[in-house]
Amino acid sequence: MIHFDNVTKVYANQNRPALDHVSVDVDKGEFVFLVGPSGSGKSTFLRLVLKEERPNSGSIHVAGKDLSKLSNFKVPHLRRRIGCVFQDFRLLPNKNVYENVAFALEVIGKPRRFIRKVVPEVIELVGLEGKAHRMPEELSGGEQQRVAMARAFVNRPMILLADEPTGNIDPATSIGIMKVLDRINRTGTTVLMATHDAAIVDSMRKRVVELEDGKIVRDQSRGVYGQAY
Amino acid sequence: MRANFIFSEVWIGLRRNLTMTIAVIVTVAVGMALLGVGLMINSQVSKLTGFWSDKVELSVYLCTKGSPFEPCKNRGAVTQEEKGNLEQTIKALPDVERVQFENQAQAFKNFQSTESNTLLLSVTKPEDMPESFRVKLKDPEKADAVESSLKGQPGVSNVVNERNLLQSVFGFMDTLRNVALGIAILMVIAATLLIGNTVRLSAYNRRRETGIMRLVGASNIYIQLPFVLEGLIAGLIGGVLSGVILIIVKVFIFESIQTYMAAPLGWDTVAGVITGTMAIGVLICVLASFVTLRRYLRV
Repeated sequence: MIHFDNVTKVYANQNRPALDHVSVDVDKGEFVFLVGPSGSGKSTFLRLVLKEERPNSGSIHVAGKDLSKLSNFKVPHLRRRIGCVFQDFRLLPNKNVYENVAFALEVIGKPRRFIRKVVPEVIELVGLEGKAHRMPEELSGGEQQRVAMARAFVNRPMILLADEPTGNIDPATSIGIMKVLDRINRTGTTVLMATHDAAIVDSMRKRVVELEDGKIVRDQSRGVYGQAY
Repeated sequence: MRANFIFSEVWIGLRRNLTMTIAVIVTVAVGMALLGVGLMINSQVSKLTGFWSDKVELSVYLCTKGSPFEPCKNRGAVTQEEKGNLEQTIKALPDVERVQFENQAQAFKNFQSTESNTLLLSVTKPEDMPESFRVKLKDPEKADAVESSLKGQPGVSNVVNERNLLQSVFGFMDTLRNVALGIAILMVIAATLLIGNTVRLSAYNRRRETGIMRLVGASNIYIQLPFVLEGLIAGLIGGVLSGVILIIVKVFIFESIQTYMAAPLGWDTVAGVITGTMAIGVLICVLASFVTLRRYLRV
């Protein structure tokens, strides 16, 4: 599903590569934690999957497509197959829960009938039934992140990227978020989650890929966060 | 594509940047109106030139008694013989189409009908008016040659090319046109920069929305279209206003000077000018939005 082959990324005006000859394979339906300290290259990895950045060398395949051969014109179509969740939720403050989720479908031109059918379903999937008409400011952090997950998943993407989704949420609420991610993973969606949260990684017992200074230092199935932290 | 979604985005954008939008509309309206006025003056001048070029004549004025012109000093009025010779000379010139003699009585009559200064009218007698030959040329461009060959002939006080009199009027209108076009170009530049700024503000105001649109895979057209439409709508409103200004200019200025202008400016010309300036206004707005978008809304 995601295939990195010897990928190196150096940002302009920086000597040290953000990713240094990284090769990794993520299969369909896998749940992978991407761990490592700040600046180790986790976010760069996610940005490369989305083709927001281009690698300096190496090749990247996502959902069967070679990203170097994907024209800019087709990048939006790639992104429709990838859902994204962030630490800061990125909800639209002037739209309610339903509208925030529906926005993702409206802007890719889905018919209204389809939107009316699937948005309530996905709101229920993330456990926000009955809160469809709340505004983001009326929700707790955990609830806002659920809205963000509903928006990321409403288009049934093949891959879900989560960049520190529990970074702004207390540990008790984080468990709920992880349950939703697990539920999404069980529908066959590949989930790639970058995180600092050792407790969560340890409790989930999923595959762990650890980055340090842009290099993969560990790739372990059913792993833990690591003793060093 | 969901039209109502795009239009609600456009509406939100226009409302958020209301002052900038108004600035764009006003600049486009004034700029395009000036451009239109310039074009209207231009077509008025060319119409007038066409109308007058088959009417202009050379006036060969003859000496009267006590004429102050240099060639007539130290001599009396033109003699009958000199008049006869002159008429033969003029008729012999190859560029002359026909020649007509205007005597003092006729000249006085023309003077009375055109002069409005009553004091001057009351003191002028028919004897004060010079006699003249009215020379119609085959080709008005040859006037200078004919003029120089007739100047200095005995009995000729002065040769006046009527075209030169008109030329000063045309020259004035040319200046007017150039000023209008010059200001129009400045306004177009100002409008382009303003639109660039408006789009930039708009893109900044909506960076959350556009960021999310990018993430969920909205196509570039879908993301950019609301911004370009904002430019288009502002340009269109500005264009309509400039059309209104041009109609006002036509009714209140061009119509009122039409009494002096033998060739009136038709509504068909005005309609053409309005359509043209509106098209240019809208085009500039759309292009300016598009170019700035490429810089501030990387997809």
